Amino acid sequence: MEQTEDTNFVKDILQSITKARKTLRMYPPNNPMYIKTLEETYNKFKEFFEYKEDLSFRIGQDSIYFDSEEIYHKAEKEDNLALFFFKDGLRELTFKKGLSQEELEGFLKIITMDFEKEAEDEDVVTLLWQRDFQNINYIVDDTVLLDVEGEDYELKAVNEAKQAVSDIEGLLKAYDEEFKEEDVKEVPIISFTDKDLTSLMKELEDDAESKIDKLSDILFEILYRAEELGGILEDIFRFLKDTIKFSISYGDFKAVIQLINRAKGFIEDPYSTDEIKKYMKLLLIYPSSDEIINLFGEVLDRPIKIDDNDIKEFIKLLDKRAITPLINVLGELKTFRVREKVVEALIYLGKQDIKTLAMNINDLRWYVVRSIISIIRKIGDKRANEYLLKSIKHGDIRVRKEVIKGISELGGEESLPQLKERLDDVDAGVRIEAVRAIGNIGSIKAKNIILEKISDKSFKERDFEEKKEFFRVLSRWNNDPEIFDFLTKTLKKGSFLWWSKNYEEKACAVLCLGLIGNKEALPLLYKHKDSGNKLLDELTQTAIRRIERGS
Amino acid sequence: MVREDKKEIQKISAEIINQTSIILKTALIHESTNIALRKAIEKLISLLNPLIETEKGVTFELIGEFFYVNNIRVRYALEYLLNFDFLTKEFRKRGLGSVIFNNPINPEDIQMFIKAFITSGLSEDPYDKMLEMMDNSQNIKIDRLKKIIEDRLKKVGESDDIDTRRIIKKTYFNAVSFTKGVMKKIRSGERADMKKAKRIVESMVDQLLEDEHLLLSLTALKDYDEYTYHHMVNVSVLSMALGLRLGLNRMALTELGLAALFHDIGKIQIPNEVLNKPTSFTDDEWKMIKKHPIWGVKAILGFGRFGSATIRSVIVSFEHHMNCDLSGYPQVKKYSGLDLYSRIIALADQYDAMTSSRVYSRTPIPPDKTLSIMMEQAGTKLDSLLYKFFINMVGIFPVGTIVMLNTREIGLVYEGNMAFADRPKVLIVIDEKGKSVRGPIVNLSEKNENGKYIRSIMKTLDPEKYKINLAEYFL
Ligand SMILES: [Fe+2]
Ligand SMILES: [Fe+2]
Repeated sequence: MEQTEDTNFVKDILQSITKARKTLRMYPPNNPMYIKTLEETYNKFKEFFEYKEDLSFRIGQDSIYFDSEEIYHKAEKEDNLALFFFKDGLRELTFKKGLSQEELEGFLKIITMDFEKEAEDEDVVTLLWQRDFQNINYIVDDTVLLDVEGEDYELKAVNEAKQAVSDIEGLLKAYDEEFKEEDVKEVPIISFTDKDLTSLMKELEDDAESKIDKLSDILFEILYRAEELGGILEDIFRFLKDTIKFSISYGDFKAVIQLINRAKGFIEDPYSTDEIKKYMKLLLIYPSSDEIINLFGEVLDRPIKIDDNDIKEFIKLLDKRAITPLINVLGELKTFRVREKVVEALIYLGKQDIKTLAMNINDLRWYVVRSIISIIRKIGDKRANEYLLKSIKHGDIRVRKEVIKGISELGGEESLPQLKERLDDVDAGVRIEAVRAIGNIGSIKAKNIILEKISDKSFKERDFEEKKEFFRVLSRWNNDPEIFDFLTKTLKKGSFLWWSKNYEEKACAVLCLGLIGNKEALPLLYKHKDSGNKLLDELTQTAIRRIERGS
Repeated sequence: MVREDKKEIQKISAEIINQTSIILKTALIHESTNIALRKAIEKLISLLNPLIETEKGVTFELIGEFFYVNNIRVRYALEYLLNFDFLTKEFRKRGLGSVIFNNPINPEDIQMFIKAFITSGLSEDPYDKMLEMMDNSQNIKIDRLKKIIEDRLKKVGESDDIDTRRIIKKTYFNAVSFTKGVMKKIRSGERADMKKAKRIVESMVDQLLEDEHLLLSLTALKDYDEYTYHHMVNVSVLSMALGLRLGLNRMALTELGLAALFHDIGKIQIPNEVLNKPTSFTDDEWKMIKKHPIWGVKAILGFGRFGSATIRSVIVSFEHHMNCDLSGYPQVKKYSGLDLYSRIIALADQYDAMTSSRVYSRTPIPPDKTLSIMMEQAGTKLDSLLYKFFINMVGIFPVGTIVMLNTREIGLVYEGNMAFADRPKVLIVIDEKGKSVRGPIVNLSEKNENGKYIRSIMKTLDPEKYKINLAEYFL
């Protein structure tokens, strides 16, 4: 291949790399675009290596060179690949024939990384060093690590060190003196035993364990001496908070539990100063903060194994401040198993402060509201009803239904006006939940509300299923003569009208009579058994059978 | 950076040497028909033959304390240490230097080798006996152990060697200069750059992996004005070299090296006049100095992002003067034992501090005396197991020790010897006629034709008394 052809090819490869740098930033690794870009770039390398052993890029501040020819230049600092390498001291980058696609992907991942977020304490060179790619070599200039005056340090220090002149004369004198005494010492030779090696292996194994407990031990030791050290308390408090944050982010709940317990010890310790106690009390509520609870949610969602018991114990450290952030977490969680954990936590905390929990029903996300209501129902605290009622007109049908379900369990008479309103909700499902809830309250007022609705002229317009539900609810007043009366009247009423809507109400009345099971209704039912209306006849027969068998 | 095939060869070679050692050990106690022995031989062949084929012949050579395969030095994992030691000693005993495989081998070849090896061990002239017994072998040849004058020079061209030294010096002084900059920055309320600190330590790790002796020898020099910074780097180098012996990987070595580099960072709270004063500290000054482990915790947590490297550094800063028996400072109330890294760094710290006149004591103690003082503390203040590895690393006569040899020569210990801690390489500064010279560098593990050591150390001299400036020889 010609020189220029070569250069053009390499230029193309580099363009491929810059393109891949953009694409890989945008797509996750399983995305077809990601895979396609990676493969294309790799194929270009492979093609190049068919006739060359390696490919070296020389890095300048704004340019990249191949064979002393500039193949990349960018004047602006932004998104400048040359500068990206150059600023960390990278001066040459060589890819070798054995380059695998995995290695190329690893390399591309490094250069697409958002260093501000993902690798605060590493630069490009460190990441390359850590990965130790077999087929990607590099040359760096370490002077970028030093400030200007630092660069001359070697010369200065060496000159200083060499200034003292060795006293060879003195040594020659020693030559005569010391050889007279023939005091040769036997030095013990140290040899390793198998036992040494086993204990070393164990040391290394033990060393792999988490260092967080040790760190908090140290911080607490410093706390004991805070007074003597002066002005360090605030720092230690901050470090303890950081320790908690760090532990949570690694799912190490045990460490947090232990740390908080030690903090409690300081609060109880009569020798602790008020200042220390103040900070330790602040530390105690830190796990309940937004920051920690959000992290808690994130960690739970990650595929790492965390002991259920540790989570339980951690939850016990929380107080009501955690309720709202926990509810937010609940809205973000992806895995079902984890939702359960958070729900458990909320049940635990909600028992202590039902008000804060219930106030969150205003959340706009229906699934969150549904969870809160199911939590409230599990706790069964009647005080929550007040907040349920406030959300009964929530814009989401699903929320309205859940709220009504909650009210039906926790509420009483006071909920009737709002429930009654819901009987005219635009959604049939909500209306059905409302009538059921009213039935559940079961008072005379409740009964009258339903009767009133059924008697209303517009009731006829409702769906048959909905009507049935109203009548089904009525059957809970099974010993109430007024209801019995109402039903029989409905059945008798206007039987000369032959339109089907009328039959629907009769059918509902029949259904209800069947459910009530009063034998006195039998004669009337027999009378309607062969009305000629298929629906009515069928339901009547069922009701008759039910009453006769049931008693 | 090491080539992949080179790494692969090193790995297989380490296994081959290990397996050879196992076979010879087994053969010493079992008949040649023993099943275990036959199995072991089969395994050796399965490792060897592919290598012989791909490399078109393989030569194992013992040079100094290392085995080389086709001129590549074999590095080995910790679990091989005892077997490597055994083989090195047995080779030396026989004056055996190389084993050469030109063609793929079969079990009979190995059996012949074993027989020759064992029989020669009892002979007056073991090498000749072995050569005679191996005469018929087509596939395995042997060669005599070579006298080494300066084996590193043999392996690497002279200019390469000077280059390597230059790069290593650069790495070392960069680290010191960087540390100085970090201390200055923190003193003026700026943040230290963790990214750069990592880079500095990583390049030291690279040098140690390439050749630990060179970087280690630089820690022997103590005559710098700003010793505090040199001390921090020396402790880092000594700790990582020890970590390397213990089998830590590159990432772990980096964390260890970082923690060591920052171990005295708390000294930023102590005025320079106190740190560098030529006289002893007053009680008040001591009180202040004893707080530096705690100030270190504050400093590190102040500039490091909360992560594994930071946490390890904090622990080391706090614990490095505590002693294993918690008799040191800071005093603690409720505490479990010291972290592994703290125990490693405490050894390196004590060693470097005691051998210099600038850290705590104003009179330096010669390296070998320092080691014996430390030996007394092993098991109480210092970790006894780690001490064993430490002395094995720096040698009984560490680099920089002035030694008198039984040949009436005086020299400076120039490079440690991993296999024979008492037989380092020595730079001769006064020859047997009492004349001041500069070299040669001699290897004390060298033997004459009768199997006797050519040179041995008689005693060490106090460098203070004779005012030898190591910088003249080492820089
Ligand atoms: Fe210290
Ligand atoms: Fe120190």
